[in-house]
Amino acid sequence: MSYSILIVDDSLPMRSVIIKTFKAAGYASAQFFEAANGKQALDHMKNGWIDIVVTDYNMPVMNGLQFLKAIKTQELLKDIPIIVVSTEGNETKIKEFMDAGAKAYITKPFTPETIRDLVTDILGEVDYDETVDDSNEGFDF
Amino acid sequence: MMKLLMTAMKASISEVMETMFFLPVEFGAQKSFKQTWVAEDKSKKACQLKFTGDVKGSFLLIISQNLLVEAAQNFLGESRESLEQEHLIGTLTEMLNMFCGNTLSKIDTKAPFELGIPKIIDKSDILDTQVFTIVETTGSRMAISIVMD
Repeated sequence: MSYSILIVDDSLPMRSVIIKTFKAAGYASAQFFEAANGKQALDHMKNGWIDIVVTDYNMPVMNGLQFLKAIKTQELLKDIPIIVVSTEGNETKIKEFMDAGAKAYITKPFTPETIRDLVTDILGEVDYDETVDDSNEGFDF
Repeated sequence: MMKLLMTAMKASISEVMETMFFLPVEFGAQKSFKQTWVAEDKSKKACQLKFTGDVKGSFLLIISQNLLVEAAQNFLGESRESLEQEHLIGTLTEMLNMFCGNTLSKIDTKAPFELGIPKIIDKSDILDTQVFTIVETTGSRMAISIVMD
């Protein structure tokens, strides 16, 4: 099964790193979409189905918490799992996201295994036989 | 508070550099901006990230072009030739973002810290007397400072 994954982060390198992490974790056949802030992500989500969202917190225009709260008000989008990846590891901040409906909160720095284990848990085991041939970028960071 | 921040910052830099950039670091002496090599080389880049909370201030990071390229290569898994300016600037701002966020997460405060958006600054924006901690990696160096408002 090919998933649609939306990466929301104002940092181009971080979006690239997260996409590579997904590919290395066996999701090479997934379709990846990118947005630089919550508003761009919401606009994207109105035009096509997304299976999982990975979002940063600290972004211009619309931050990750505002984005998460906006999603939860929309009937068609509110059940899409949202993973927050942020540098901010304060317990109060994490609780705020989890209370708002985030599925998980990962603090940077993170290892590829952290994201792999979490996403596999949320989306289910991937069929490595289907994805291994596409995964030619390897586990390269 | 400054001593707490400095201790947390060093632990965070080690953690971030080893986990995300695969570069072990060692900490050198503290020197003023004017005294150090950082004031002399125009190829170096400087980045600032402001924070608010129980205390307000900002982190300043100055990095050599060589170290930034090496860090970006490791971070993105890309070759040196394929790196564009946007990748380098993005790597620098993300690096400082991780240093700052991770550092402040280690400090126990009543109110959570809030981070601003990292921005590239001109080295002329830095006071000559500002004290930086030198961070050594394999063959390259960077310098970091915490400014309290």
